[in-house]
Amino acid sequence: MSAEYWRSLGELEDTAESRAFREREFQEGASEPPEGLSRRSLLQLLGASAGAAGLAACRRPEERIVPYVEAPEQVVPGVPRYYATTMPSGTSAYGLVVESHEGRPTKLEGNELHPASLGSSSARMQASVLDLYDPDRSQLVLKKGEPATWADFVAAWKERAKAHAAGGEGLAVLAAPSASPTLFRLAAAFQASYPRARFVTWTPVSDANALAGIARAAGRPLLPVYRLEKAKAILAIDADILHTDPEMVRHTRAFAAGRRVQGPGDSMSRLWAVEALLSITGANADHRLRLPARQIPGFVAALAASLRGHGLAIDAPAAPELPGVDAAWLRALAEDLLANRGASLIVAGPRQPAAVHAAVVALNAALGNLSATVDYREPVDALLPSPATFADLVKALRDGQVKTLVILGGNPVYDAPADLEFKAAAAKAEELVHVGAHVDETAALASWHVPSAHFLEAWGDARASCGTLSVVQPLIMPLYGAKSAVEVLSLLASGEDLPGHDLVQATWRPILGESADFEKRWNRVLHDGLLPDSAIPGVKLVPKPGTLAELATAAQAQGSGELEVVFQACPKLEDGAFANNAWLQELPDAITKVTWDNPLLVSPTSAAKLGLKDEDVVKLELAGRSLELPVLRVPGIADGTLVVSLGYGRTRAGRVGNGVGFDAFPLRTTAGLDLATDVKLTPAGRTHPLAQTQEHGTMEGRSIIREATLARYRQDPKFATDTLPLFSLWKEHEYKSRPQWGMVIDLNACTGCNACSVACQSENNVPVVGKDQVRRGREMAWLRVDRYFSGPPEAPAAAFQPVPCMQCENAPCEQVCPVAATVHDADGLNAMVYNRCIGTRYCSNNCPYKVRRFNFFNFTKDTPRVLKLVNNPDVTVRARGVMEKCTYCVQRLSAAKIDARLGGRELKDGDAKTACQQACPAEAIRFGDLLDLESQVAKARSNDRTYALLAELNTRPRTTYQARLRNPHPALAATPQEVKDPSHA
Amino acid sequence: MAQIFPQSANRLPLVIAVAALVLPAVAVGGVWYFFSPRFTDVGYQPVQPVPYSHKLHAGDMQIDCRYCHASVEKSPIANVPPTQACMNCHLLVSRNVESLAPIRDSLKTGTPMRWLRVHKLGEYAYFNHRAHVSSGIGCVSCHGHIEEMEIVRQVEPLSMSWCLDCHRNPTPHLRPLSEITNMAWKPARDPEARARQLAALRPVKPPVDCSGCHR
Repeated sequence: MSAEYWRSLGELEDTAESRAFREREFQEGASEPPEGLSRRSLLQLLGASAGAAGLAACRRPEERIVPYVEAPEQVVPGVPRYYATTMPSGTSAYGLVVESHEGRPTKLEGNELHPASLGSSSARMQASVLDLYDPDRSQLVLKKGEPATWADFVAAWKERAKAHAAGGEGLAVLAAPSASPTLFRLAAAFQASYPRARFVTWTPVSDANALAGIARAAGRPLLPVYRLEKAKAILAIDADILHTDPEMVRHTRAFAAGRRVQGPGDSMSRLWAVEALLSITGANADHRLRLPARQIPGFVAALAASLRGHGLAIDAPAAPELPGVDAAWLRALAEDLLANRGASLIVAGPRQPAAVHAAVVALNAALGNLSATVDYREPVDALLPSPATFADLVKALRDGQVKTLVILGGNPVYDAPADLEFKAAAAKAEELVHVGAHVDETAALASWHVPSAHFLEAWGDARASCGTLSVVQPLIMPLYGAKSAVEVLSLLASGEDLPGHDLVQATWRPILGESADFEKRWNRVLHDGLLPDSAIPGVKLVPKPGTLAELATAAQAQGSGELEVVFQACPKLEDGAFANNAWLQELPDAITKVTWDNPLLVSPTSAAKLGLKDEDVVKLELAGRSLELPVLRVPGIADGTLVVSLGYGRTRAGRVGNGVGFDAFPLRTTAGLDLATDVKLTPAGRTHPLAQTQEHGTMEGRSIIREATLARYRQDPKFATDTLPLFSLWKEHEYKSRPQWGMVIDLNACTGCNACSVACQSENNVPVVGKDQVRRGREMAWLRVDRYFSGPPEAPAAAFQPVPCMQCENAPCEQVCPVAATVHDADGLNAMVYNRCIGTRYCSNNCPYKVRRFNFFNFTKDTPRVLKLVNNPDVTVRARGVMEKCTYCVQRLSAAKIDARLGGRELKDGDAKTACQQACPAEAIRFGDLLDLESQVAKARSNDRTYALLAELNTRPRTTYQARLRNPHPALAATPQEVKDPSHA
Repeated sequence: MAQIFPQSANRLPLVIAVAALVLPAVAVGGVWYFFSPRFTDVGYQPVQPVPYSHKLHAGDMQIDCRYCHASVEKSPIANVPPTQACMNCHLLVSRNVESLAPIRDSLKTGTPMRWLRVHKLGEYAYFNHRAHVSSGIGCVSCHGHIEEMEIVRQVEPLSMSWCLDCHRNPTPHLRPLSEITNMAWKPARDPEARARQLAALRPVKPPVDCSGCHR
């Protein structure tokens, strides 16, 4: 089967621009200096600096060695230490192991023992280390904008608390959702001290709908825990379980495990997706149905009716046929779910209304999935979000009933629903205390601002989604004397200023049991990063009746009209909390490959109908409010659906996030938090440039991604194998000595989440270049994830391919370097020697994979001092004029080899792991010694699905790929092309 | 016709020819030597903030190198001792000597000492002390007779070619691990005794590829 792959709409349409773009290695303007610097002034600057250099230290620049005064015990300078900690994120938590150099955390990895991370990590987990060293972090306690101290705040609070002594009337605390036993205990203590005070938990984008739906079905809010590893048929209803879901690491691992195919005898699970926008989950689905978001509840009703028609014992009423739903598709889905009772799973996403979630509980129960593929557990120690209580709080503020408001994290002035007019309401409070990481939009209004501590520098605790307990252990003293949420809440609750460590230990004494060896058991929890066997089992659940009938009614209430707007929290920046994280801003969006922007996503058909091209700015009007933003056509979005990403357009995020993108929060009202239908779209008559990494380095239609259906693979296991007769004119080098490094990337496991790309950036000090440079093709990512569409542009299938340096045995780059700055070493690596490179860029010219990145400028010249702390000291920070590329993390390989040799043992599989391999949640990347026949990589390399990229060029790459397989339902189309949309028959 | 050039000008072509051979040779040779680490780095002897004498401590008093440079067998970097290490003795010995005032002040104020670095490789070259010391390279091989120096100076060029000379033929430079800090040790002449000295060492595989040190 030969699907024609295309990289972008420009390529598909074969526009003149796209062709011109592809033909040039380095785009126009790539080798020109930026605006404002003429050749003349450049030469003048160079001359001046040369003159100044001559007067420096006569013999040699002086360098100082600065040792400790009193060396900390156990710290050996130069040897990194590893500590387990936890990254809390809403009501989830991820176990981490953090690498720390001389007391500075530099790299995060997943904790293999922790069930939420299993040793892997997501892009956001990897990027969060950068937030610790954010130079724009709030550094001082501020009193009405003037510097103050924590002691000042404590004294002021004690004074203020007297005004609320009578039960706490007029006092309110607004907190973000969490699952921390200590925070929960302190919230209860606060409520006990101030029974009439309000404690509100809220965040702009949350799973409140899911909790409401589950509460409807189960009688009380419960937290779902999905076990994809046990599911053979998975239906994701507007649910991006593999990417934006807080549990994406665990889900991706389980999903990949359920689809791992070593040989023709293996089976695969099947993923069905129904969604309006194109998500990673939808892109990886075997069958995807694109429906406008307002029709999705109707789809679920139709599915319930179909299941009942197939004999499932549920009380689903008959549902009207939906025009966009092919009857055969729905039938196949129902059959698949029924054929896998107890091993199927239906998941609804957070944007779906509560009625859908309630119905999904009923369907899962009827299919026998409870206690098998999904568990619903009690939300122990969890502060759950409640939009209704938040609306009440804002009303109370507006009515002047709240005198003191403490905001413990969150930025409601920026992201509260626009119709609540939070800013005006909050201005009425006499005292507004804001605890936050930045002096942001909310802090601008506050009478007191307290800098909040990053999780790497504060004590805390958390429960993971399955309930497993762990402690958040700081790796460094707070950089700026910041305080953690537990410390502030403790002060509010009791009036005492206690350190976080004591507060957390006080919570854990009853948990571990007060006994003589508490300290030992406490240390064991800190060492392991979790408390074993602390998961919370699911409850026995009998769903309440009537949910499916309510769904049918709710489905009809959805609006009509041609256009709808779907609000999604940016998959990278969340709700804007990470807007100042440069790694995430520059990370290409997983589907659109856009950096540094949030365009309005629209389907190609709708765009054509509206007369819109990419980068055209439109005015989007919703319920009386408007926003101007550029348009981007994305194949796979439902027609009539406009997707807006939240979290951009910030004004007080910091130097990275300010002014980047477009703030869509003003369009978001309580009636339309996830979906709005009263939409008007008019062109604004101008354009806005977008920086996409998508069309850079296109590979000209060669056999890049090889894929087939599982059925075809079973018939012809060697469909992907290269059959080219490659021979050499001379005697090739034989690689006999161990180790010989190699890597195999399983495209069947890769979901395209980009965790590997950020992990590589973190490990190897890869610089950030900014939007303008990305537009010129100068993005520096050593490992990029390419996304290829196939099939019709309205409903394409997508495949993802991470592309690191291939470390070719017959490397084209080595052959053309005039100064031997890139050479081959005895372990099979293509080594890059920065100090020899003179910047001819011939190597990149010759590289067929275009994995070499050139430092056109000194991208690290203006790095603020605190940001330098995040650099990995084992890797050179490159200057201007040198080429850089993936090195298979040679610093890790070197350390592993030395450890093995001096430890008197041979290198074994797993001793040396590259950063990308370690981060990948799907375990798609296998790396190791190819000559170790027992190693995973050697076995993967000899697998029949394995092929080399562009093998016909005889580069003999050490990085190879395993072909992708899809598992379509036998009753539906056998090719990966999706069921055709009946409205476009 | 009058002569434009005096007769002495007849020698000019010869002078030019000789100069054209000699001057470039001198220039090349001059740059070759005077710009090489053997000239620029060998003998570098900066004056430290405190006149610490290795000759007194390591030489006369025979304190083992690793008492102060404790991480040399465990870490890629050989540390300079913290102020605490000095004060371990100097809280009792030479308690009020003027030259030790900066050390005492450092301990009192918590401000670390700022020593001047003597041995330095380019920042693009990663040298691993543990790999060398734990493999059997003595301190004296690279740092010379430190125990005879009042002020530390660099005695070896530490240039890449100097490193490669050993990497390509390490065996003559290996010594038993017990003799690493023994400045006076010499390899045994007798081949059998020499073999016995080397037998207990870990296998030595010095990288000769660029990626061994440049990353």
